[in-house]
Amino acid sequence: MTICQEVEILLVDDNLGDVVLTKEALKESSFNNRVSTVRDGVEAMEFLRRTGKFSAAPRPDLVLLDINMPRMNGCEVLTQIRGDQDLKLIPVVMLTSSESEDDITRAYELRANCYVTKPADFDQMIKVVQAIDVFWTSVAKLPRRA
Amino acid sequence: MEADDARSPVRDEELRPFFEMSLDMLCIAGFDGYFKRINPAWERILGFTREELVSVPYLDFVHPEDQEKTAVEAKKLTTGFDTISFENRYRCRDGSYKWLLWRSTMDFKTNLLYATARDITDRKFSEDEMKQTAVELKRSNDELAQFAYVASHDLQEPLRMVTSFLQLLEKRYSDKLDGEGKRFIGFAVDGSKRMHSLIQDLLALSRVQTMALPDALTDCAKVLRDVMEDLQIAISESDATITCDTLPVVTADATQFAQLLQNLIGNALKFHGKDPVRVHVGVRRKADEWLFSVKDNGIGIDPQFSDRIFGIFQRLHSRTELPGTGIGLAVCKKIVERHGGAIWVESELGRGSTFFFTIPDKKAPQSG
Repeated sequence: MTICQEVEILLVDDNLGDVVLTKEALKESSFNNRVSTVRDGVEAMEFLRRTGKFSAAPRPDLVLLDINMPRMNGCEVLTQIRGDQDLKLIPVVMLTSSESEDDITRAYELRANCYVTKPADFDQMIKVVQAIDVFWTSVAKLPRRA
Repeated sequence: MEADDARSPVRDEELRPFFEMSLDMLCIAGFDGYFKRINPAWERILGFTREELVSVPYLDFVHPEDQEKTAVEAKKLTTGFDTISFENRYRCRDGSYKWLLWRSTMDFKTNLLYATARDITDRKFSEDEMKQTAVELKRSNDELAQFAYVASHDLQEPLRMVTSFLQLLEKRYSDKLDGEGKRFIGFAVDGSKRMHSLIQDLLALSRVQTMALPDALTDCAKVLRDVMEDLQIAISESDATITCDTLPVVTADATQFAQLLQNLIGNALKFHGKDPVRVHVGVRRKADEWLFSVKDNGIGIDPQFSDRIFGIFQRLHSRTELPGTGIGLAVCKKIVERHGGAIWVESELGRGSTFFFTIPDKKAPQSG
């Protein structure tokens, strides 16, 4: 498989351990990823809208979004992304430790592209993250950006 | 007493002793809102003297919150409607209130109101207390379920960190670790994985508690097929044969019933003996319930432990012999009890076990 372009991934997670693990898992992926990380929903929106310290931020091809975060949680971020003309088409994958039915339903209602629970096992985590990476950056056909 | 005496009308003077000794409060009141005549029960129950009671309008004794409805009730009496069952609160001399249950009627010839009241304070208080206790119990149950859920949920996160980073450590630095180092990591990973299954099972237990009470009809045969599909790997690994009677449709929550069968059959597969595993799911119709049985030919259980195995975290084998968290049968017990049934085991060491449980038949006639 030939990948011509780097894939830009925005990882939104307040747990440093999870950030490291997800990045490690992405590192093992055969794809040419560039991962940017932000620590909460407020930073995520600044990054996506290129405001504040993120004025030079790249436009992500994929957002990996945690739910439970300080200041602005994942569902609020998702609402804002889907309501924003420029951002609404970006694939958003909820990557969270929550197995709550309410969280799952809510995320899909807010048009998350998919909902994934972080596995407790690291080898499993690698597989899951790689599956997300492969699917959203090379298998799925996405609409052309405006 | 002579028979013709009993048939003759009661004479007025015969009533006087009853008026004096009645346990209930009897009174005659006028249109002017004052008591005209009261029996001794009034003084005994409220603590006021007769003079105090007759010298102020009776509405003054009524609890401020009940005065309006009392006035409405009195007005209804003057239009010819008797009071059959009316409750209000009357003030006592010590400032406390008594709940009174009233029955009254209006005599239009004399324009007097005849009323009898019963002190129902004790009943009211025990009713209130019961309501209060029920509310408290529900709140504490809800809190407990919530607590178990949150605890299991929030415990997962740090545990995932421990497991994952240990695994990462092993992956990245295995060339720098000697055999013992790797063994230590193995123990730690093992421990955290066990913790993970404990939390998962606790979560399952707390879900049984929070789930709504069953009222749907469940086809047990279909549930068993689904369960066997889920257990397919374990069934083929242990070369097990599972048979069943013709299973009925029962009033039960399908998900919980499936979990119940899955735990019981799963145990039968796990605690197997030397022979190929045989499990039979049986059912018998009793007067107003179904008696299910899950019978295996496994290692059996020493009868002295037959109660203990249903307790939470109770295990009869070391983890190196057989894995498990000791929550499975506690979940079974909770599920059966939530359905109004009972669960027990009959077994002997080395001679297999039969788990019995009952599910009440809601369609059955109530009288047995």
